[in-house]
Amino acid sequence: MATIILADSAGDVFLTKGMKEVGEISTINPRTLLAIGRKVIGNRSFLAGIFFISIFFFSFLIVLSWADLSFVFPAKSLVYVVSTLGAKWILKETVPLQRWGGIFLVCLGVALISLP
Amino acid sequence: MPLTRGQSLRTETHLRVERWEGTSRGAPALRGTSLNKTIAVLIPAIFAQAVGNVFLSMRMKEIGDTHLLSLLPLAIESPTLWLGTALLIVSFILFAAALSWADLSFVLPAVSVEVVVNVVFASYFLNEIVSLTRWTGVLLISIGLILVLRSEREKERQKRHKLLEGSTQ
Repeated sequence: MATIILADSAGDVFLTKGMKEVGEISTINPRTLLAIGRKVIGNRSFLAGIFFISIFFFSFLIVLSWADLSFVFPAKSLVYVVSTLGAKWILKETVPLQRWGGIFLVCLGVALISLP
Repeated sequence: MPLTRGQSLRTETHLRVERWEGTSRGAPALRGTSLNKTIAVLIPAIFAQAVGNVFLSMRMKEIGDTHLLSLLPLAIESPTLWLGTALLIVSFILFAAALSWADLSFVLPAVSVEVVVNVVFASYFLNEIVSLTRWTGVLLISIGLILVLRSEREKERQKRHKLLEGSTQ
């Protein structure tokens, strides 16, 4: 379960890092978008993000095959909190108190919804 | 001359603000503040994801309870599954695009609307019965989202303020 949550959060953090390195997308010109897409696919942080998301996905499938669904799905919602910690510490985002409150409520709500 | 100096300062302030607002220029459909741009990209992402999920689970329910491997040949033949998967990919691309300018600590909770939309779609299109616990979850997520949105708006206001201050120094 820890692997699942950490891998998903690491995936989110690396994905964001990669996209920030590529820079803000502010065009809808197809040719420019294609060039940006190529840059994104070649970005190491982005690829690391995809790698971690794949790890998340497969470990999730494996755990689903033996664990209790009523535990796995709600526990997975902790990703919201862990990813935010990653955003704060690794990506140096400022997370105001109000946002923390909102994220905790979202986490709790997602946990409730995913109870079978 | 003080008057000229004041004028030039004002012009500079103007330019700075314009430059800041100009971050989303170049794409007429996406013009506006950065928060509006984020929302404009995330809404189609959320809907693509939700519709994709409905397609996937509709088809999976038709197939029924099977083994993962025996599913593969069925999956390749099914256009509904292809469409569902394609929508999920579109949703992922939009999500990544939003992350190129917005905070992860904003985008991630914002995308949790998809959980709410999934519940609503499941109850509406797939005729699943939604329990009271789930509706409570929907309520909590909604309150959480309002807080996250407010914090983002506050942050944006502060950013704008800082830019204005910086240009008058």
